[in-house]
Amino acid sequence: MTRVRVLMSLAALAVAVGLWFALTAPPDALQGEYARLLGIHPPAMWLAFLAFGVTALGSIMWLVGKRDRWDRLASASAEIGVIFTAIGLFTGMVWGQAVWGTPWDWQDPRLMSTAVMFFVYLAYMALRNAIDDPTVRARRSAILGAIAVVQVPLVYFSVNLFRTLHQTQSIRPDGSTMPDEMLTAMLVNLVAFTILYIALLAARLDVARVEAEAHPHTALAGDAVHPPRLNEVEDV
Amino acid sequence: MTFWRQAVEIARVDLVVERRAGETFRIVLPFSIVALMVFPLALDLQLGIVSTVGIGVFWALGILFGMQVALRQSASDTPERRDLHVLSGVDPAARFTGRALSGGVLMTAYLGLMLVAMAVLFDPELPGGGWPVLLVSTVLVAVGLTELGTLAGEVTTGLRSRTPLASLIVAPLALPLVIGASQSVEAVERDTSILPWILLLIASDLALAVAGVALAKPLEEATQ
Repeated sequence: MTRVRVLMSLAALAVAVGLWFALTAPPDALQGEYARLLGIHPPAMWLAFLAFGVTALGSIMWLVGKRDRWDRLASASAEIGVIFTAIGLFTGMVWGQAVWGTPWDWQDPRLMSTAVMFFVYLAYMALRNAIDDPTVRARRSAILGAIAVVQVPLVYFSVNLFRTLHQTQSIRPDGSTMPDEMLTAMLVNLVAFTILYIALLAARLDVARVEAEAHPHTALAGDAVHPPRLNEVEDV
Repeated sequence: MTFWRQAVEIARVDLVVERRAGETFRIVLPFSIVALMVFPLALDLQLGIVSTVGIGVFWALGILFGMQVALRQSASDTPERRDLHVLSGVDPAARFTGRALSGGVLMTAYLGLMLVAMAVLFDPELPGGGWPVLLVSTVLVAVGLTELGTLAGEVTTGLRSRTPLASLIVAPLALPLVIGASQSVEAVERDTSILPWILLLIASDLALAVAGVALAKPLEEATQ
């Protein structure tokens, strides 16, 4: 618990510093104050990609080693990823309304693929909720977690494959397309959000571990009731 | 028994069970055609609009109802049947392949009949050369949708909320199939190359086949 408190304090400090950089960076000549969303939108999506990558890693490691902690890691990371994908989608829509004049463009592959990724991981969480037995839950969700990660490169490279409204990557091997102040604000927030992810993951893992110890397998009412089988009737 | 012999035998048994159950052609297909008929009524019988959006409606309904075909009850094994497969030494990858084969046959026939119904009811506007492309896309979508449905069906086997949960898994992952299929017909209309869209469909089908075969063993363990 002390470890989580330290991490949470660090994360709060890092996010505060990140916000300060985002709010003190000069406004954009074309986008005005909306450019400050650069401090939230790209870091939120980066964090989602990282979280889903960790989910895939945890899933594959569970399939290889069948250790409970890998399943808990995959699950906790997916939950955080879904929340930050929602934040990324929402901030993207606010930004889109301001810059493109519309919050949603059906022809934009980045928007569409991000929404698809969001629903795939909602399905992952729904699958976990539908299974009571911890081993069955871990096994089945590990399979989906290992498959679902293909969405991440699809979302990331969608702007390169199909050019529509959403811009391509601002940081490229040959340099950045942004002014230094904006680039600094975004990079500081990337680091801050990564620390926030580590803190949230540590907290969620602690909760998951306590849950697993307290309720190894809680049977639901009615689980013990089975329909009569033919051979049982014959035996009588 | 070789891998392919096992797969073909699994597919044959699935098709026999489906012929007896009649889930695809006696339940899902009539329901889909009723849905096709509801659509023009919802548009106040504006037949010009119906004709324009006919292909899109076919893909939307085909994919949504196609999930019911992929997740049909006759394709879900009972615990006893699964145990029998394991004890008989059936290769899990052959089981996936066989199930995908039988599902592919049913799905192709189902989507083909839906296409005929849509053509009769909606009289869609299609440029010259559009029908062959539509047919090829239909077969490729049928294969991909079946593979996705087989994977999702296995992952959700035995769960109380199997059908809605598997549909929630399949629907977003089926979007590359919808995009590839609809854009290939659009490409004919725009007189541009259909190749990228057909390749997208083939790549999706192959990726799902590889995922299904590679994960067949853990999938089998997951359903026991």
